[in-house]
Amino acid sequence: MIQHTDAPVVEIHDLTVSYGQNPVLWNVDLTIPKGTLVGVLGPNGAGKSTLIRAIMGLMDFNSGYVKIFDQEVDDVRKRISYVPQRESVDWDFPSSALDIVMMGTYQRLGLFKRPGKKEKELALSCLEKVNMVPFAHRQISELSGGQQQRVFIARSLAQQADIYFMDEPFAGVDISTEKAIVNLLKEMAASGKTLVVVHHDIYSAAKYFDWLIMLNMHLVASGPTETVLTEALLRKTYGGKLSLLSDVGELIKKSSIDPLKD
Amino acid sequence: MEDFVYFFSFQDPNVVFVVLGISFLSISAAMVGTFTFLDKKALIGDAISHAVLPGVCLAFTFTGTKNPYWIVVGAFATGALATYAISWVTEHTKLKEDTVIAAVLSVFFGVGIVFMTKLQQTGNAAISGLDHFLFGNAISIVGEDILVYGSLALLTIFTLLIFYKEFKLLIFNRDFAVSVGFPVKSLQFIFNSLMVLAVVTGIQAIGVVLMAGLLITPVAAARFWTDRLGAMLFIAVIFALVSGVAGAYISFVFPNMPTGPWVVVVLSLVAFASFSFSHKKGLITRWYAKRKYQEQIHSDHILKSLYNVLENGGKGISLMELKKDFPGKDAETERSIKRLINKAYLSSNKDFIELADAGLSEARRIIRLHRLWELYLTEYMNIAPDHVHDTAEKMEHILTPEIEAKLEAYLDFPSTDPHQSIIPRDES
Amino acid sequence: MSFDPNAFLIILTGALIAVSCGLLGVFLMLRKMAMTGDAISHAVLPGIVIAFLISGSREGFAMIIGAGLLGILATVLIEYLVARVKLQSDASIGITFTFLFAIGIILITVFANQVDLDQDCVLYGEIAYVPIDLWITTSGSNMGPRVMYLAILNLVLVVAFISLFFKELKLSTFDGQFAATMGFSTTAINYGLMGMVSYTTVSSFEAVGAILVVALLAVPPAIAYLWSKDLKKLLVLTLLIGVAVSFLGYYLAYAINSSIAGAMATVAGFFLAASIVAQRVRRVKESRGRISLSTEQQN
Repeated sequence: MIQHTDAPVVEIHDLTVSYGQNPVLWNVDLTIPKGTLVGVLGPNGAGKSTLIRAIMGLMDFNSGYVKIFDQEVDDVRKRISYVPQRESVDWDFPSSALDIVMMGTYQRLGLFKRPGKKEKELALSCLEKVNMVPFAHRQISELSGGQQQRVFIARSLAQQADIYFMDEPFAGVDISTEKAIVNLLKEMAASGKTLVVVHHDIYSAAKYFDWLIMLNMHLVASGPTETVLTEALLRKTYGGKLSLLSDVGELIKKSSIDPLKD
Repeated sequence: MEDFVYFFSFQDPNVVFVVLGISFLSISAAMVGTFTFLDKKALIGDAISHAVLPGVCLAFTFTGTKNPYWIVVGAFATGALATYAISWVTEHTKLKEDTVIAAVLSVFFGVGIVFMTKLQQTGNAAISGLDHFLFGNAISIVGEDILVYGSLALLTIFTLLIFYKEFKLLIFNRDFAVSVGFPVKSLQFIFNSLMVLAVVTGIQAIGVVLMAGLLITPVAAARFWTDRLGAMLFIAVIFALVSGVAGAYISFVFPNMPTGPWVVVVLSLVAFASFSFSHKKGLITRWYAKRKYQEQIHSDHILKSLYNVLENGGKGISLMELKKDFPGKDAETERSIKRLINKAYLSSNKDFIELADAGLSEARRIIRLHRLWELYLTEYMNIAPDHVHDTAEKMEHILTPEIEAKLEAYLDFPSTDPHQSIIPRDES
Repeated sequence: MSFDPNAFLIILTGALIAVSCGLLGVFLMLRKMAMTGDAISHAVLPGIVIAFLISGSREGFAMIIGAGLLGILATVLIEYLVARVKLQSDASIGITFTFLFAIGIILITVFANQVDLDQDCVLYGEIAYVPIDLWITTSGSNMGPRVMYLAILNLVLVVAFISLFFKELKLSTFDGQFAATMGFSTTAINYGLMGMVSYTTVSSFEAVGAILVVALLAVPPAIAYLWSKDLKKLLVLTLLIGVAVSFLGYYLAYAINSSIAGAMATVAGFFLAASIVAQRVRRVKESRGRISLSTEQQN
């Protein structure tokens, strides 16, 4: 069940991605419409993070292409924002929450300019949206997991992008923070932004997202939540790896050449 | 040449001492180094080897001679102190391990330089030997040294062998070891002591600055030849031995050459050769495998072209026509055709090329794999029929008969592919 | 104590070098690349020797360029081993620096007559000679110690580099992935930083040698990190500690009549140990205070 849309903001065409010599995503083909709050679901190792990272250009892919606003990703970087997994950084870094959020403004500044009053005000307003203004000058090492996650999101907001890709923004976050963030994301989608969020929980996914992408090393389904969240498709997603795909993956991993790359 | 014969005939007891000394330390360093490498703690060995300098100098200060017993005690003391400092500081402060290692390394060494400079001012004749501890001088090894260093090395080797299984568990599955009640802390302590011992054994021959090379490089090279711990140890030891003796030999022939650097250079060259040429992971090996693979792809494509001719009712194709299918690759095409003819896949008659029986079978197999994979992608993975060709084109060359059997089973022995082409099978 | 111009020059040069190294060292530490800094400082040795052989002297830019290139080479080699050969990073660092340093030592020994470098001094420099190694211009005027000028130039360039690219350094150090998605070239920033470290190592080599450079790259930032949680304050603190280390190191060496470079490393180590102990005592007191508070509340 793969629903396509005309005039997509994100188009992924025949994307195959390997981690080193280990194929993790096969031939993903999907389109995402504007103004949707999209959830990316799948079991561990299904390729969810990989998909996001490949889209953002953080990983090479074997074949296929990604188009955002019908252009190359590199040409539209000012319109897209990436929120990595919280554990991907060292939170002992000597900075305050405000410092981190200000980093979201660096992109538009250009090479030698420093962030000034305008950037600071923008950063503070983003902190306001995630209810973190009282913590603006707190060291990030002193923040809780949920607070750190909110700082990451505020930083992303400071980029003033049109599409947001978030990798597990709710991991290790308390339920009230999670609800607050979801409300913020829904507001953003309503105002025309597109958000693609890697998520780990099926039940909340049903409530949060209006579009779901389900992965299991290949694309199981992509479409509006009501049509896609069926028992059959869930089984195909969470019911175990396609064993043939695993076997072929093993074969490729052990071989001395990688047939998926030229 | 005479030097070579003289050296390796081992008539000169000095030569024997030197070779024995280097051999012992190489073996113990390579063995200990293998474990530290696998535990991702390779650079701690570097810190330890720099940290022994103050201890060596203190030993000199108190005894006034190059007495190996005291040197070893001094070196062990500061080396162990450094090891302990690194783990304590990493665990109890927010400083990260790499910073702690760099700090301990340079500070201990700096203190050592302070002591060494003072010693050099005393004008004590034995102090000239102290210099050798920086870059190593295998030739200065005499009988008493062998006794001490040799015993240390043997102690290290035996302890490693005795606790082999325990150390293996400690490195590969520490959580499990803790959960089954292994005395992990004691084992770690013993292992850290062995690390210090291995370093101490090598300082006279290799010197403190380059000793890290002897711990890290042999196993880094061995890693490219095997995945198994036992084999890795063995290969690392061989590499270290060969390099050690080579280094000693060079110091023998050129007496002003310090041993340490030469051992490291030889060892590094062995490592680079391993990175390039090892049978599984070597870069050159992989490059070669890639070329062979591309040749195979080309041959497969030729067989497919000929099969298409058959499917369209023809019998064969002229060489010129066939080359048109692969523009710009005329020479390759000719080579591939020759290969295929040798394998009796093709037969040629005055530049008219036909599939032989074996070739027909093989062509069918390749096309079958292609079409089965396309079907698998469309049926099991919901991929649009017009997107499956490219992947299938890549996969058809490597899918094995086992996987082919599974494909057939899952797809229930289908007769056509997503494009309605027939899936060819050999008539039985 | 009367003003000793030689002492002043030595301390000043030492301080300049300490600050250059410390500022760069802050970023190395935060990027968890302290040992790469160690590797680079060892790896530049063959470059220094070769530059010396080619240019015939240790003066001039040939040394800086030649050796600086080798520092970059070391970084490239380490990257290559990690990314293409797929060797783990600590081993890549270890093999690279021992190999290059070994070659350097062999070159020094082979060309001992043509190269005015001595194995031991390579490790700990000859900062004591700084005042007598003078820069005499072609017109014959004495400009002062040559190495001091090198150190001044080095510091100016380091400060320029860090302030011009401060936000890029900060961003890529904290979150390289995010920086890449914004379109910043994290590779360029990394090589830029390593290039500066390489240049600083070479520039400081004669005065303080390979090992002390590592101490100055690693220890003052570590001390500052224990006391500060703000990046800008960290940099300032590192600067002050660097100056203090140079000052006290000189006087320690003077008092015990030993190697100045070694004494500086020793002083730095002492400050680090003292900081660690002080932090620990403070934390133990705090947790005791909390325990007694909670027992009070229970009663």
